[in-house]
Amino acid sequence: MARKHVLEGVRVLDFTHVLAGPSCTRLMAETGAEVIKVEAAPAGDMVRQMPALKNGRSGYYIQQNRGKQSLCLNLRDPQAQEVVHKLAGEVDVVVENFTPGVMKRLNIDYPRLSELNPELIMCSISAFGQRGPLADRPGFDYIAQAYAGVIDMIGEENGSPYFPGLGMGDVSTGAHAYGAISAALFHRAMGGGGQYLDISLLDCLFHCHEINVQGYDGSGGQLVPHRSGAHHFAVAPLGMFKGKDKWLVIIAIGGQWANLLKVIGREDFLTDPRFADNAGRVANKQLLIDAIEAWLQTTESDAEAVRILEENHVPVAPVLSVPEAMAHPHHNERQTVRTISDRAFGDLKIPGVPLRFSQYPEFLPLQAPFLGEHNAQVLKALGYSDDDIAALAAAGVLASEPLPASA
Amino acid sequence: MASKPILAGYRILDFTQYLAGPSATRLMAEMGAEIIKIEMAPYGDPSRAFPYRKHKRSAYYVQQNRGKKSLCVNFKDGRSREIVRDLIRESDVLIENYAPGVIGRLGFGWEQVRAINPRAVMCSISAFGQTGPLSHLSGFDYIAQAYAGVTAVIGEPDRPPSLPMLAIGDVTTGVHAAGALGFALLDVHRTGVGQHLDISLLDCYFHHHEVNVQAYSASGGAIVPRRAGAHHYAVAPTGIFRGPEGYIMILALLHQWPVLCKAMGREDLIADERFKTNELRVANQQALIAIIEAWLQGFATDAAAIEALQAVRVPVAPILTVAQAIEHPHHRARGTVRRVSDRMLGEFDIPGVPLRFSAHPELLELQAPLLGEHNGELLTALLGYEAERVAALEQEGVLVAAAH
Repeated sequence: MARKHVLEGVRVLDFTHVLAGPSCTRLMAETGAEVIKVEAAPAGDMVRQMPALKNGRSGYYIQQNRGKQSLCLNLRDPQAQEVVHKLAGEVDVVVENFTPGVMKRLNIDYPRLSELNPELIMCSISAFGQRGPLADRPGFDYIAQAYAGVIDMIGEENGSPYFPGLGMGDVSTGAHAYGAISAALFHRAMGGGGQYLDISLLDCLFHCHEINVQGYDGSGGQLVPHRSGAHHFAVAPLGMFKGKDKWLVIIAIGGQWANLLKVIGREDFLTDPRFADNAGRVANKQLLIDAIEAWLQTTESDAEAVRILEENHVPVAPVLSVPEAMAHPHHNERQTVRTISDRAFGDLKIPGVPLRFSQYPEFLPLQAPFLGEHNAQVLKALGYSDDDIAALAAAGVLASEPLPASA
Repeated sequence: MASKPILAGYRILDFTQYLAGPSATRLMAEMGAEIIKIEMAPYGDPSRAFPYRKHKRSAYYVQQNRGKKSLCVNFKDGRSREIVRDLIRESDVLIENYAPGVIGRLGFGWEQVRAINPRAVMCSISAFGQTGPLSHLSGFDYIAQAYAGVTAVIGEPDRPPSLPMLAIGDVTTGVHAAGALGFALLDVHRTGVGQHLDISLLDCYFHHHEVNVQAYSASGGAIVPRRAGAHHYAVAPTGIFRGPEGYIMILALLHQWPVLCKAMGREDLIADERFKTNELRVANQQALIAIIEAWLQGFATDAAAIEALQAVRVPVAPILTVAQAIEHPHHRARGTVRRVSDRMLGEFDIPGVPLRFSAHPELLELQAPLLGEHNGELLTALLGYEAERVAALEQEGVLVAAAH
């Protein structure tokens, strides 16, 4: 019989909320894992209240939680902890993104769960990691970005740093966790046993410094990374150029430098000693920006400039707004942007699955759960009777929201 | 006995260059896989020429390529392809990040690879993917970023977008690829059949839109994602505030807003009509920023303001420069920043390994290869070529090596 996807048969107990952890388990659900999302009673994952909201349903929640089962528990109650202990024996992976220490206080930390299931792989995701001076701080993406030296690298040189308007650290950290879990599961399949993974936003964001860290340290502090607005601080020409209509990103390194000069009719720069190497081009950046922008103003449109530069193998892109990106034919053909249908919300566009496996070309049909939707199903599988389940619900150990009639 | 590293015994044939692909195989090398990096004669990976360089050695190259073996071949010569075919037979994974079509023209597209080794997993990393109208374009991180609607949401509304001065897209794409590769290997373990992975910067960048895509779509265009300088366009207070010395990141989401008001001694703001809901706080953002910044100016130092907010657990951070981040005691204690020693460059700092495994707490001792450093070893020990044959291939420029 055909398999559904690469993670078919892998069961995940998911204590994550907001974005970093749910991004990881989203990828696991999209690649076939059975994900049981444990939500804290009474309200569940806080993003259930985050915009865009329609019919009482959050687009934010739906995007990150499709294909997961919802089990809503009051984790402070020992009876709920007992449910978690039983589940730990039945799953392959536990993922959580509480502040370090919370899982221990709830009596469901790795030492406890691995006693119950030595083959368990548990992944903790946090802002700063499980140890170190910052470890106990609560944190969000942008907090870790600030500590990772990322925010300081974005903005005008003499102005305030800028706020990047999307959750790059959270999603990247979720993808890092997905990679680590995949290697750990593979290792376990080879007989290596279970283990614990400590993934942090700080580490993952810091990991993105391709030049800054080695450049600063390797040069003994001569190369000082700094934000420099629309253009790169250490490579030229590389940045945002004013086109006829809007802004264009243009990069000309290596052989592309000569191609660009031909396009803009400034082949004289090829032999100009000021532009002999990258360092010279960085030092005389403004002259280059002026020359490139002067040429752009002679073109009919940005689309025309893009066409000419592409023809001459100079990397170029229009700076698309989010709505323009969502409408782009490439993004739609490839399902980089994807329309899904939620039982309560209706149709909704979300980012697609960035992992494409040739054996499993079809996306799975997934639905985001209502709060506590799978309480009874999950507990029954553990051997709880209908009466037990009703008693736990009455005692507030289990919580749920009513399903809409349409579901 | 310490257990073997996670990917010990796995062989990865690595055609990648620059950053996105090498980030994936860097993680795999750190997990103990044998990485055979195929570099094109005569210069190899173009990043060998990237700054910072010393003794002709690039710290950029070293950072991304520690623990890999270098095989440098001249693809213009048919005999080099024979070597690659022999290597594919002996490898578990083939990974490449050429522009789509190039690897096929070299003779190693997915159909050719699976014919040589049906258990092989092949991963192609590209700017726009192997399919779709943009797939033929070559691209770099910032090009895909612009097409993903990411660049447009960074900067002041009335100024050009601002370039994030680090390659978030390349690295995250490498990480996505490494994750997919691990699960594809697990699939081979279960099914015995390999497959092809098509990973693009565009998809991976787009994946980071946590609010923008669904909110624009779901609100029927009422919420328009846009750049808003130092502050979030849809959540307030969330952004970069001027402190007594420098800039401070403060986030006060729904439940933290009253906590922040109390910390500022301004409980009156909780009931203030201008700030009752997130929507109102966004609409009255300028007034809100002025109040918070005025309060911050009452502190002698940024550190004192940060401490006051940390005491009540309002998310807050100093905006560290790269130099400050490198020296931060937490980053050092955790190995977020890591000191390595290269045989030619000496000691210097690079970002550490962000994947931490309890069964393998020690980091591996790795060295970045010199160009073609492992030519002889790979051909004789792994493929069983006669020493004379290897010497002839070197002589005729099919194999190339250089001391940098």
